[in-house]
Amino acid sequence: MLDEYATTLTFIALGAIFAYSFYAVLIAGQLSLGQAGFAALSAFAGAYLAPSPTDVGDVPALLIAVAIGMSVGALAAVVLGLPTMHLRGVFLAIATLGFAEAVRVVLTNQEWTGGAQGLGVPRVLTVGMAWLALGLVAYWFWRMGRSRYGRALEAIREDELAARAMGIDVGRHRLAAFVTAGAVAGLYGVLYAYYVRLIAPDDFDFVAAVEGLVTAVVGGSTMFLGPILGSGFQTIVPEIQRAVGVEAGWIRPFLASLLLLVVILFLPGGLASLIRRRTRLPAGAADDARADAGEGPGRGLAGRHHPAAGEPVVSLSGLGKEYGGVHAVRGVDLEIRAGEVVGLIGPNGAGKTTLVNMISGLVPPSSGTATVLGSTIGRTPVHRIAAAGVSRTFQHSKLFNRLSALENVLVGAHLVSRPTFLRRLLWLPSARRDERAALRQAVRCLDRVGLADRAAARAEALSYGDQRRLEIARALASDPSLLILDEPAAGMNHVEAARLSELITSLARDGLTILFIEHNVGMVLQTCTRVVVLNFGEVIASGAPGEIAADPAVIEAYLGSDEDDAGSAGSGATAAGRDAAPPDAVTNLTPGAAGTLDTPDTTPRNPT
Amino acid sequence: MRTKLSTVAAAGAAALLLASCGSGEGGEDTSASGGLTGEGSGESCTIEGEVPIGAVLSLTGAAASYGESQQRGLELAAAELAENDGVTYDLTIEDDQTDPRQAITLFDEFVNDGASLIIGPTLSNAAIQADPIAQDAGVPVLGISNTAAGVTEIGDYIFRDSLTEQAVIPQTIAAATEQFGLEDVVVMYSNDDAFTESGYEAFSAALEEEGVEVSETITFSKSDTDFRALLTQAQESDPDAIVVSALIEAAVPLVTQARELGIDVPIIGGNGFNNPRLMADAGEAAEGVVVGAAWNSSSDNPENQAFLEAYEAEYDAAPDQFAAQAYTGLKLVDQAVRANCSAERDSIQQALGEIEDVPTVLGEFSIDENRDAEHPAVVQVVENGSFAVLE
Repeated sequence: MLDEYATTLTFIALGAIFAYSFYAVLIAGQLSLGQAGFAALSAFAGAYLAPSPTDVGDVPALLIAVAIGMSVGALAAVVLGLPTMHLRGVFLAIATLGFAEAVRVVLTNQEWTGGAQGLGVPRVLTVGMAWLALGLVAYWFWRMGRSRYGRALEAIREDELAARAMGIDVGRHRLAAFVTAGAVAGLYGVLYAYYVRLIAPDDFDFVAAVEGLVTAVVGGSTMFLGPILGSGFQTIVPEIQRAVGVEAGWIRPFLASLLLLVVILFLPGGLASLIRRRTRLPAGAADDARADAGEGPGRGLAGRHHPAAGEPVVSLSGLGKEYGGVHAVRGVDLEIRAGEVVGLIGPNGAGKTTLVNMISGLVPPSSGTATVLGSTIGRTPVHRIAAAGVSRTFQHSKLFNRLSALENVLVGAHLVSRPTFLRRLLWLPSARRDERAALRQAVRCLDRVGLADRAAARAEALSYGDQRRLEIARALASDPSLLILDEPAAGMNHVEAARLSELITSLARDGLTILFIEHNVGMVLQTCTRVVVLNFGEVIASGAPGEIAADPAVIEAYLGSDEDDAGSAGSGATAAGRDAAPPDAVTNLTPGAAGTLDTPDTTPRNPT
Repeated sequence: MRTKLSTVAAAGAAALLLASCGSGEGGEDTSASGGLTGEGSGESCTIEGEVPIGAVLSLTGAAASYGESQQRGLELAAAELAENDGVTYDLTIEDDQTDPRQAITLFDEFVNDGASLIIGPTLSNAAIQADPIAQDAGVPVLGISNTAAGVTEIGDYIFRDSLTEQAVIPQTIAAATEQFGLEDVVVMYSNDDAFTESGYEAFSAALEEEGVEVSETITFSKSDTDFRALLTQAQESDPDAIVVSALIEAAVPLVTQARELGIDVPIIGGNGFNNPRLMADAGEAAEGVVVGAAWNSSSDNPENQAFLEAYEAEYDAAPDQFAAQAYTGLKLVDQAVRANCSAERDSIQQALGEIEDVPTVLGEFSIDENRDAEHPAVVQVVENGSFAVLE
């Protein structure tokens, strides 16, 4: 029974392995077509260099060829990846396609490859070996899925900038994904060679690359079973057509393409989206988390060293940022000490976001110097600043939209959790312990912002206010020393803003240093220990909330335009009046309009 | 929508399973019933069961233009054979999409379904990949267009009726050298195609054999269409002739552009040039092009005349060499089946090996001891818009 389908089954396995080499990078949001080139190099190198099966036996010969092929594939990926890893989207696709074409042309013109007529290879691969190899590859990606490494790749796919801010070294992760793709493509190349008996450079041309990509996408590039489903689909469609008796000729590829179109239209997530994906929340994790609450970093997490209260966290001196002659920020001197809650206010366009972008390492300053938690700003990459203990939210939510709320926060815990992927491959209990610890941390953070019951929801499905709170939970998960919040209350209603205010106060009580931008001046005055006012890129006032509210320069620059606003701010100057004023009394946002807010402007304000 | 789709998918999978099981059982039936051996011999041979013949052709993909010609040739031959009494053929033509994976799968299926013989595949690369499956299973294969070296070396079940480039090209070069007194030539070939590359190797060996000097060798890609720069380069060495190994897609623009540039030395082409499209598309420019071929389209032997007439009547177009070889292929299979009056695999294999001096479209045809074709090749020259024998 199985014998009759051996060929078809073998090709399903081979196609799936090749599709996995695309899946390996698609999962990190990279579009590469270079896998055909890796496969070609590996197939020829493996077949040419490995000893003949008649000398050493079938399986040893195949294993040696596989080892050679995977090494060649991985090596080629490193060589190609180093100069191209900064390319994105279609640019990476074109660059890698160029590589694949170059490989094909070079192999065609080499003597040892047999040129266009190809290189003969003994058939060694059996259907069992092919599926064993496929099983190992699938196992690799299955175990990767819920590991720290796998989540980091998904985070990069969803939002690269946010991933950087969570402390993920995007360059290294992308290269790692690319090298994995190279090794898997190499495996495919060698197995293919040892099955079809003759390999020619044309077997790894543009069409082959596109076919691999299509297989991965049709199967689904966000779920580890996707490539197998995609390859099954692609391989079985011609079989069905033959079985049903569709006449050979153009009509078959036409029908196959039509079917492909239908699948892509109705299942944009690929065939794998037919499989329900569940977000597991191990029983008891939430209870564990509550029991741990307030004890600082949980068991099994890398502890962090926080600066003692009063130690400098941020020191800026003469910091400036210029965009083509426009001074967004000018000569800012500022020192933030551990334990402070600093509010940064100022009219729109005052340079607040530019300033925090510089502090969190996203934007290099044009002048001046800055030290944040011991790291010099300007030369230090974002993920290092994050590793030093800076965590932030964004003015416009930058969540990992297709991940669940819990997974978002788990990515936030990247810096305090340990790498688990390799240990997960071996099912080591310590990996499970570490994953549970990260999970507890995530649940605790979700609980703290009041989102514990929404843990399984996709981030994009959350309400606007919940999204903002989720971003805070994600930022908290890294157990930061300095938390930067960029307009956290924007779009929140009274009640939500009040709750946020409480949250910030309670975080400050735990000793966390907080810097936050907010237009809701009432909330700032209520929550902060110190307020810094920016206007036209310069600090115009800095001091205790009471002083600021009474500062005529501030009222002039920031509030003076509107008499009502000025009146409210004035009332905030007296201790009694501060409580009386509603938290959103002075704001340039109408709280009642929170529900009808325009979707946030997603165009980045600063080139980063 | 989701449930609907998954239902459709499940139904499709079930249908596939049923259909595959069905065909599998069918295959066993034919081989078990033993209805493939009949009584009588030659024309009087009568076989009860239908003789299953599989054909693997490249009907879509890069080699589709050859596959389509072959399909026409086979179908024409099948229609003619159906009019004869005694033996009925069940010819199944399948498309390998110019994809080695499909060719391998199809060979596997034909072997499992009990085919008496497999015709094809279109390309030599696919033959080297797929023929071993039939060889291992003891199913005879008749290649109808494989010209690469080593195809019939796969085993004693692999035959072909297509002359190799190594058989045709030396005759072409010898005739052209004699005719034009060649002393030095420029060789041009597309080096990213298995067929044209092996053609180049044959040309190169034949030129050396004849003592003709190759002043320059120029390579291009099979997808190229602009040869002006290369032709100018060729012109500089002032050759006596330009020898080209290319597929018809490159041959037409190359010949046209050469004449445009004022190159009026003879152009000598390989098997790829042996296509009516050369005259149809290049027109005037094709005049004087010398083409070595396995099939003499202007031959006046009765089989060829009948073939030309029947083909024109059926398809309203002139056949090319691929159609002629395919047509001959199926006729040879009939010959072999009737010789022992048996369509058992081993019997066909034995009879194919003994084919000798059979009059065919290709001329007097024999299978040699290496299971390769043996028949007169022809050196043609384009004259007044059609191929004429170079004399």
